[in-house]
Amino acid sequence: MSAVTPFAVLALAVAGAYALALLEPLVAGARPHPVAPVRSALAVVRQPLRRPGTYDGWLFHLAPGLLLLAGVMALATVPWAPGFRGIDFQAGVILFAGALAYVTPAVFMAGWGAGRPLAVVGGFRWLALMLAYAMPIAMVTTAVAAPAGSLRPSDIVEVQHAVPMVLAQPLAAALWLPAVMAVCFLAPFDLPQAPSELGGGTFAEYRGLDAALVGLAQRVLLLAVSGMTATLFLSGWHGPLLPPAVWMGLKTLAVAALILWLGRRIPRVEIDRALSLAWKVANPLAIVAIVIAGLLTLFFYR
Amino acid sequence: MSDLGTALAFYPLAALMLVTGLYVFITSSMARAGLLLLAALGVEGLIFLALASEFLGFLQLLMMSGEMVIMVFFMVMFMSDPGGLMGMDMTHEKRRSAGVAIALAAGLALVAVLTDWPARVAGDDAPDVRAIGFEVMGRSMVSFLFAAMTILFAMVGGVMLAKQGGRFGIAAPAGEERGEGD
Repeated sequence: MSAVTPFAVLALAVAGAYALALLEPLVAGARPHPVAPVRSALAVVRQPLRRPGTYDGWLFHLAPGLLLLAGVMALATVPWAPGFRGIDFQAGVILFAGALAYVTPAVFMAGWGAGRPLAVVGGFRWLALMLAYAMPIAMVTTAVAAPAGSLRPSDIVEVQHAVPMVLAQPLAAALWLPAVMAVCFLAPFDLPQAPSELGGGTFAEYRGLDAALVGLAQRVLLLAVSGMTATLFLSGWHGPLLPPAVWMGLKTLAVAALILWLGRRIPRVEIDRALSLAWKVANPLAIVAIVIAGLLTLFFYR
Repeated sequence: MSDLGTALAFYPLAALMLVTGLYVFITSSMARAGLLLLAALGVEGLIFLALASEFLGFLQLLMMSGEMVIMVFFMVMFMSDPGGLMGMDMTHEKRRSAGVAIALAAGLALVAVLTDWPARVAGDDAPDVRAIGFEVMGRSMVSFLFAAMTILFAMVGGVMLAKQGGRFGIAAPAGEERGEGD
């Protein structure tokens, strides 16, 4: 990590958010317009801020900042190429999970701070959902780190030079994808805002810069989880012919497109069903995934 | 990090941690108290990072977020004045508890100052680090697991006791309509 790293990560976050804003219409089957994301972002920023007249209104304005901070920290742990690794810590995967863990209080703060009934309902739904989905993320991380014998993301990429982890551990990958989709509060897990049900819920009251930060943070989160999915399961920067960073970018965009496409195809999961799926199916299967990872490590990776 | 850098990070963070920790007890809103406690413990994670204890710092940041969010959830669920808007005083026995707290803080400070701390830095493969690892993952694991199961049963039991009659409330007695005002 050098003095340039924070600026490089921030630039990557903004550029990536722009790329994802272009990807969204593409996935929907429309033609993306290169200026449209900038224009709509400026239109949102020009709106006056809305200040909720509630006791905990300060939480309302703190939430988008915390959300963006969590997204940028998660993005910083993604290794993009053997040379440029952002913050390549020895326990980088833990930092990634730790950064994602702060999305939970941020969205809750948004809902609680707004002080409107539907926003508070959205905030509490979100708490219940995230408590259920945090465990599979942590356990799948462990399962993927076991063959590498390391929690450093670049070591996990190196161990996949022959077989991508998605082929070695398909169960772990199948548990990981819905869990990280839920963290990004994207459809079909857009339960805190749930436009047709809670009328925007947690984020309904946001205007101006606050709303722009929420939109930016959601795309940075999507970029971070797509990048980490490519790192942990799709053998990161490995690939023939093209330079490593290009492979990594292509894989990240492919995962992001898959997540956005699934969000368009699958209807919103009901909160009760999402919770019982998480506790009764995903969590026990995550323990099975750890056992499989242990056996694989013992027999094939040593 | 250099000694000066560590000190520059440590003391402001420690002060911030104390201030947020203090406000946990001053505020009467359960959501605020839980989030302030999260802030205090998250700053503690940053202090670990400043002291070059990377793994502990990340783990602290990760675990505390989840745990404090669970605490907010439970406090708002169970307290009669979760928003702190009704001016309910939730402190009891102020004088005695303040005495105990001051005595305890003074004792801990004395221990911290008077202990002869080792000056050397232990490496990853130092024998005592290995020994701690085997202790935590071996014999002590039984007591950790027991504590974890106890906490889990307490949480599930608390919810069971709180939600009488299940999700839709207690069924009305036969022949009576439930409605407004009864």
